Amino acid sequence: MAINGHGLAQRPRRLPHWMKDMSAPRSDDNSVLLVHAHLDGELDPANALSVAQQMSQEPALAAEAERVKELQKLIHDRLPREAAPPGLRARIESSIGTTRQLRATPSWMHSWRALAASIAVAAVVASGSTWLVVGSQQKPVQIAELLVSDHIRSLMAPEPVDVVSSDRHTVKPWFNGRIPNSPRVVELAKDDFPLIGGRVDVVGRTPVATLVYRRAKHLISLTAVPAGDVFAIGGPHSINGYNIVRWTENGVTYWAISDVEAKELETFAQLFRTSQNEL
Amino acid sequence: MSIIPLRPRAGANSHDGPPIRLVKPGAQDTAGLDDNALFRTVVMPHIDEAYRLARWLTTNGTDAEDVVQDASLRAFRAIRSYAGGNPRAWLLSIVRNTAYSWLRKNRPATIVSVDDLEAVELEHGKLDERHDETPESSLIAKVDAEQLRAAIAKLPAPFRETLVLCDIEGLDYREIAEATEVPIGTVMSRLARARRRLLETLRQNN
Repeated sequence: MAINGHGLAQRPRRLPHWMKDMSAPRSDDNSVLLVHAHLDGELDPANALSVAQQMSQEPALAAEAERVKELQKLIHDRLPREAAPPGLRARIESSIGTTRQLRATPSWMHSWRALAASIAVAAVVASGSTWLVVGSQQKPVQIAELLVSDHIRSLMAPEPVDVVSSDRHTVKPWFNGRIPNSPRVVELAKDDFPLIGGRVDVVGRTPVATLVYRRAKHLISLTAVPAGDVFAIGGPHSINGYNIVRWTENGVTYWAISDVEAKELETFAQLFRTSQNEL
Repeated sequence: MSIIPLRPRAGANSHDGPPIRLVKPGAQDTAGLDDNALFRTVVMPHIDEAYRLARWLTTNGTDAEDVVQDASLRAFRAIRSYAGGNPRAWLLSIVRNTAYSWLRKNRPATIVSVDDLEAVELEHGKLDERHDETPESSLIAKVDAEQLRAAIAKLPAPFRETLVLCDIEGLDYREIAEATEVPIGTVMSRLARARRRLLETLRQNN
């Protein structure tokens, strides 16, 4: 902190680096910028004083200062700083938690995963399906539309699921042989989101696994879609009154769709992501 | 009057290069932490600022959440490249870059290139063409939060981010320079122009 006046006198008389950066500023432009810098508390005491003197001699500079002060006060009064939405921190923490697990995975598991992945890819190629294309080419909004349609169709069908079971040990194997990779299935009955079964939905031409959970009289469709692009972001949070919560872990994007309240659906997503009750 | 050094900040270094991503003497403060602990120390305390900046850039709360989540993941992956500088500025620069990639992808029409911006600045005229009218306090009193928000949202992104970081988030010039990856001189010029344009819009609307 060079608050002492002596330090200022010893300062080398060369252009400071930030002045060199400016494309040949004219001196008048400069004094306007310095008025702003002065009001922002960016000048050291000696220069603050000299800008203040200049302002007292030039009404235009004084007027500039007045306008800036009024504007700053207006912004301060009218736009209180809002906090991030309540669920955001938790979502960040949990996505980081997932990443950490991936990083901490021992190398032999990586090779195992790679092997498993290559088998999955081979299965995709062999079945001629477009598994891997889903995530990368379709936009989140298109996927959301398709999944909401699937959800609505399932509500109109005699049964919303193809396999009825509250037992994850039954639901998970059922997907084997129907789609290339079977989804993560967790039990949330003790949190009042009982599992009622699963079905195969189709996104584009690709079969995807959907789990169905129940909340009171509402159903929640949870669909696992391979994430083509890790950074794919955006997409709606509700369509036609159906709330949508989406997150990505281990290369799979999970879409939860339901007519339960957005907050409850968030809770469901949170529970699903943190649950240890999986196969 | 052409040599006006800015007031040195507490803990600020005097190096002349871009301040970001240089290994600084303070870096060992965090050396003993694992990635997760480092993330918790560097990133998590600034989620509110990150969200607000993303919100001003995307002009939408839902999109801002997606951007912040994505930016956090990027920050986590890059956490080892954080070199003990200003954590808030470091995170905000990532948020900003993520927001612009998002905008390029989802709303290409809103992106203003730097060239466009130079044209805007030239068209807007020199700073020393002074507006002599002082906005009466009555004008200011008439402006409500919605009008103000809309007027800020109308600013071209480089002006908007500079104004938001300074006048709403309270960052100092060095932090803004670091977060927006431009020299301090550019920060000063953008800030003055942003404030002028904002006042101009408010005046026209009333």
